[in-house]
Amino acid sequence: MDNMLGMYPTFYVPYIGTAWVMGIIGVIHVVASHTSVGAAFLFALLETKAYRDNQPQLLDFIKRYGLFLLVFSYIIGSITGPGIWYAITVASPRGVSGLIHNFVWVWAAEWVYFTVEVIGVYALVYLVGKIDPLSHLKLTWSFALASWATMLLIVGILSFMMWPGSESWYETGSTSDAFYNINFFAHLGVRTGSMLVMAAVVGLLVVPGMKDEALKASVVRLIAPVGLVGGLFSVIMFLYYLQTLPKNAHVMLEAHLLPIYAEGMIAVAAVTAIYLISAMLWPQMIRLWVAVPLFLFIAIVGVWPEERMRESMRKPYVAGQYIYGNQVIARDVPGKGIVGEVDTIADKGLLKLHPFIPDRLRTITSENKLEVGELLAKIACSNCHSLNPGAPLRSLPDKFRRSTDEDLIAAFLKGPLRHGSVAYMPRIDLPDDEIGAIAHYIATVNGKAGPLKQDATPIAEANPNSETKKE
Amino acid sequence: MDVGTVLNTMRDPAGVPAPPLVFQVLAVVTWVFHIAFVFLTLGSGVLAVYAFYKREAGPFWEQLSLAMTKVAKVGVSLLIVLGVAPLLFTQVIYDPQWYTSNVLSAAWAIGFIFTLIVGYCLWFVFYEANHEGAKRYVGIYAVMSLVLFALDGLIMHVLTYQAIQPDKWMSWYAPGGIVDNSGTTLHAIEWPRYLFIMSLSAPAIGLYLLAYADYLSVRKDKTREYLEFSRNLGRKIAAGGGIISASLALWWQFDLPASTGLRSEPLGWAIPLGFAMLGWLASQRILRLHGYILLSLGAAMIALLAIWRELIRIAYLKPFGYVADAYKIHADLPSTVLFFSTILGVGGLVGGYYLTLLYRAGRVEGTYTASPGVSRLGSAAVAVLVVWIGVFFVYGVAIWLRNAFLA
Repeated sequence: MDNMLGMYPTFYVPYIGTAWVMGIIGVIHVVASHTSVGAAFLFALLETKAYRDNQPQLLDFIKRYGLFLLVFSYIIGSITGPGIWYAITVASPRGVSGLIHNFVWVWAAEWVYFTVEVIGVYALVYLVGKIDPLSHLKLTWSFALASWATMLLIVGILSFMMWPGSESWYETGSTSDAFYNINFFAHLGVRTGSMLVMAAVVGLLVVPGMKDEALKASVVRLIAPVGLVGGLFSVIMFLYYLQTLPKNAHVMLEAHLLPIYAEGMIAVAAVTAIYLISAMLWPQMIRLWVAVPLFLFIAIVGVWPEERMRESMRKPYVAGQYIYGNQVIARDVPGKGIVGEVDTIADKGLLKLHPFIPDRLRTITSENKLEVGELLAKIACSNCHSLNPGAPLRSLPDKFRRSTDEDLIAAFLKGPLRHGSVAYMPRIDLPDDEIGAIAHYIATVNGKAGPLKQDATPIAEANPNSETKKE
Repeated sequence: MDVGTVLNTMRDPAGVPAPPLVFQVLAVVTWVFHIAFVFLTLGSGVLAVYAFYKREAGPFWEQLSLAMTKVAKVGVSLLIVLGVAPLLFTQVIYDPQWYTSNVLSAAWAIGFIFTLIVGYCLWFVFYEANHEGAKRYVGIYAVMSLVLFALDGLIMHVLTYQAIQPDKWMSWYAPGGIVDNSGTTLHAIEWPRYLFIMSLSAPAIGLYLLAYADYLSVRKDKTREYLEFSRNLGRKIAAGGGIISASLALWWQFDLPASTGLRSEPLGWAIPLGFAMLGWLASQRILRLHGYILLSLGAAMIALLAIWRELIRIAYLKPFGYVADAYKIHADLPSTVLFFSTILGVGGLVGGYYLTLLYRAGRVEGTYTASPGVSRLGSAAVAVLVVWIGVFFVYGVAIWLRNAFLA
């Protein structure tokens, strides 16, 4: 419909934005879920060894780790999984809607696995010693495979969020073309390797509680190499993954992300490798005071950048390079009958087309200009930018260097932004009066905030290779 | 702007990959499983705490408290995972309603996640601490946990109730024309509906206790006295709970807007009547039905409630010209086959294997050795997963290669 767009109200979180809310929940979920999937395979390996070598005492380790896993991974993982849905729902309702309407059956299949997994983890832990060993071994292996299947299914959706990688999906609208996108296998490799690393690291958290030193050593010498091989595989696949990314992701990566995160990522890889090799050589060194800080370091310094980078690299899109972060449909998708909205907005403006604009703000006056500017900035910009000066989420006032010059701000909005010439920003082509309102709002905020004390990254970095400390 | 036009414009332009009726049916059916575990969890949780503080009153209260604490612990896991499916299917056909309602109370939607995590962790603390001779203060963890769960139930209720009142959205989002982006307000609560649904935890745990006593009747290590104690308690709770729930259902029935015509719908009256009858049936000692039959009747009542909820939603949205069935369809056969083959193959064989093991192992003392049939089921569970993963990769590689090199 040309007179209205199917846009939703806007939820705004000051300073950190909805992106960080999503990121925080996402990190917790990734740590918990990767650990649980990886641990499921460790269980299967350990139990196979216990069955073949007649070492039932290994099952005690499984029970101990399993209980920990139950509390740590399944409670947290199973809640934060839907939690990410809630977070993206309120942050990008049209983004999540696009994903749901493309992948509903994939998610539904994943739900079948989730349900089986939750029943399975209770069965696995509570039936240790209560059923015959072969039946338990089948239970453990089926649990491991089912756990990995949940990863197989979600990775296709996550990698589509980056991009389909070819024109096929746009033409056919087929879920298969969307799911098996260009970076699917690379992404799957990275996560599969990571899950083994997390499982080993969390496994080492449980080891200090084991009394039998010989058993402890044999467990450590089984799980540490699995983590090492997983880590190596993950690094190799990450390098391949970089080759499967779209151009906008590379620009973002080189200009903003690697300068901030590269050192931390290398440090995590190095520390993890040293930790796991040391554990293999000196299993007795695994103490709680060693294992806990290292787990926290690897989980936080390793996963947070990974999640932030993935979220940032797909900018300005949130799904399939056809929905922008600000809810606007960026392009046509003939296979689904989807029509791009950027030109319609350029023609009529957000104030006329957006269903959730109060009538008193649909026409800009000198009295409401500031209020309209704030609302438009929230609708068009706040998914990626905080509107608060000094905020950590790509603060918009800071990006404009706290300028109070409305013409200067408007010049950017009418220039690079209107023409979509910044690779990692959406094309936002608004009528001049709406641009004027946004510029007026930003200039007013900047006037109140005062000048920037230190240098900050401007909204469009002229030289992508220049040093920057804010993303 | 016309509310009906807004709603229909907000439908996702991608359409849906199968007839909307399929998603509607799946949303209703899967909600039955989800809410059944909500009732079981809340009912067992409250009973666990009550029994915990009544330990001195008799020999079986402590045993019951420990058992109910475990039931609630497992119940929360299952209600969460089973809640994913109705959430998914609902947002396929009612996306404008669900997403808008969430954004309007976004801070609560996010708060739901964290309070659920804290509530669950508190329950685990209680579970770990609740053993023979446990200090009285540990019950506080359970009470705090249940309060948070009740809050989470309220948040879900509000999100659902706000979703079916699109004519009020703009006044909630911009009261007096001033936009509020904070999402910090719960805008609409229908107390009779919320209280009725929460109250169903009572008949649910009553029926569960009757089935629990029958399930354990073959176990020699569970005394007849304990099982009879559980059965009698179940009868009382189911009977009293049935009456309370029926009364609240009547209140809800009269609270429905007259303009919707829902007050005269027979199904709306069948619900209070059904719960009252179920309570009466459960209380009978002479006409003693097996616990499993009573539990099945309870499940049937929940199914009626699920259908009633959907009819309410349809009635509320109809005046705005929003009909789920009008969704544009872009049929996608491969992904449709993926879901149905997964639920039948993996859900049936793997889930069936786990449930069979749990059920049978729970009924024997000592180690359970799988019968040949169960053993074959175990092998089939592993095999179906290997086949599933194999097909996933073969099909995926073929699509990937075609798109990478031929498209």
